[in-house]
Amino acid sequence: MQLTIITDLNKCVGCKSCQVSCKEHNTAGAFGPVPDTDPYRDPDGMWWNRIVGMETGEYPNAGVLYLPKACMHCYDAPCVPVCPTGASYKRQDNGVVLVDYDSCIGCQLCMWACPYGVREFDEEHGVVKKCTMCVDRLEDESLPDYERQPACVQSCPTHARTFGDLDDPESTVSQLVAQRQGFGLLPELGARPAVHYLPRRPAPVVIDENDVLRVMEERY
Amino acid sequence: MRPTTPLLLITVLQGLSGGITMAVAAFSFLLPPASDSVLRNALLLSFAVAVIGGISSFFHMHRPQAGKYILRRLKTSWLSREALTTGLYAMILGVVALGPLVLPVNSWWYWVGGVLASLAALAAMFVTAMLYATIPAMRSWHSPLTVLSMMAVGLSSGGYAMLAVLGLSHLTSPVHRLAIFMLLATIVVAGIKLLQWKLFRDARRSLNAATGTGMPRAPYRIIDTGTTRPPYQTQTQVWPDLPLSLRGGLEAVVGLTMVLLPLGVIVGTLDGSGLGLLTVLGALSFLFGTFVERWLFFGDATHSSKVWFVDQDKVGSRVATNRPSPAFVRRFRNL
Repeated sequence: MQLTIITDLNKCVGCKSCQVSCKEHNTAGAFGPVPDTDPYRDPDGMWWNRIVGMETGEYPNAGVLYLPKACMHCYDAPCVPVCPTGASYKRQDNGVVLVDYDSCIGCQLCMWACPYGVREFDEEHGVVKKCTMCVDRLEDESLPDYERQPACVQSCPTHARTFGDLDDPESTVSQLVAQRQGFGLLPELGARPAVHYLPRRPAPVVIDENDVLRVMEERY
Repeated sequence: MRPTTPLLLITVLQGLSGGITMAVAAFSFLLPPASDSVLRNALLLSFAVAVIGGISSFFHMHRPQAGKYILRRLKTSWLSREALTTGLYAMILGVVALGPLVLPVNSWWYWVGGVLASLAALAAMFVTAMLYATIPAMRSWHSPLTVLSMMAVGLSSGGYAMLAVLGLSHLTSPVHRLAIFMLLATIVVAGIKLLQWKLFRDARRSLNAATGTGMPRAPYRIIDTGTTRPPYQTQTQVWPDLPLSLRGGLEAVVGLTMVLLPLGVIVGTLDGSGLGLLTVLGALSFLFGTFVERWLFFGDATHSSKVWFVDQDKVGSRVATNRPSPAFVRRFRNL
């Protein structure tokens, strides 16, 4: 099993609600609070999910692209083998890459090894922190099913983010990646990221046979 | 990435100590037996330097209480291996350097001990260099040049320190032998550094926002780096691009203190004038240059995530400009 989040770049409007909900949940949540020493004066603190805004193309064919960027929970996560204490590890059961704060020495080697720059150093606790894919929510059996998903997925107003198991060919995320040519960032560095993006292009209109029959009946 | 003082001290002092130990091993065969006190002093200097480097490594760990787990990942982590090899080196060097203070030893102590400590030093320096060279995301470091550079600079700094120890002892013949070797070593170091700076430049140029998405509608320009800004407080793997003048100035300082001044010192020592003072000046100059070179190594390194933090040159808008548009100029001319 490899849990992942797929982001449809056609739907992302850069509202940063995923960024804010991630911060909200992980500051208040039980697993790895995001530090905020001076949140009202210094907004440049730790964020596990950042939305990068880009201007694309050349005038007159210019546009704006938003790229939500958090831990890619890579299949071959380069941050894991470099960790001298085993604090960085990848869970066998669901593929989520996590940090054990008790054995982290804060050497930051994993931050250099991560190609995506999504690990962040907490100076106050002296450890490296990162997106946990809200593993505390996923495994909290007291929550209703619809809430057992990452905060960023649940809060996305345009449903640009989809959560699921990439190793299951029948899952929605696998089918989205297969049908819409989902891609991972910086493939040349060989980390095999699990998090994928759906490229910006016109989405194919899927028409069911029943839809055709219904329209035919309605109109003719 | 952000250069920190403990990192600079660990890497520079490990190289310096290893270089002195190797020089001791070489001169234990070359020097007359009466010069054992010189070898003892050099080994003590090497051990003192290694101890300072070792102490600074504790400051690099932000949670030393978890340091007990550091050998857990020997199979995959170069940092685990570094802790092991550097620890072994310090232990062997400690026995070899402190032994003569408490035991009656003769020249064989320096032959055997020097060679053993040198092998441990070489292993520790190689592992430390591999730690940096094996990170594909660090585009400036992911090259054999990193290993060559760190080892050549480290051994040379130790060589110049040994030259100073020999010079202060007024051993003219060994100083001349080592000076000729250091002349060649300095030229090699200069060549390796030039190649490495070219690699750094190439890495810097090859990464920009256009390579960050893997999508076809290039070019891309960052307009919002995602609630962060230089000096990227919690993201120590990226570091704002150094201003051209600062980079050029520091490279000039490295060239002056690691190449030109030491070469001048070598010419002076071969001339035979002011042996002691000159050699000390050469060693201090090379050591200072090594610190500047190492600061540049960390501070000027390009990480692959720079594509999303990049401080690219601002290109003026092609729409909103003070210059009149060509269409306007044509219409004006037609009037």
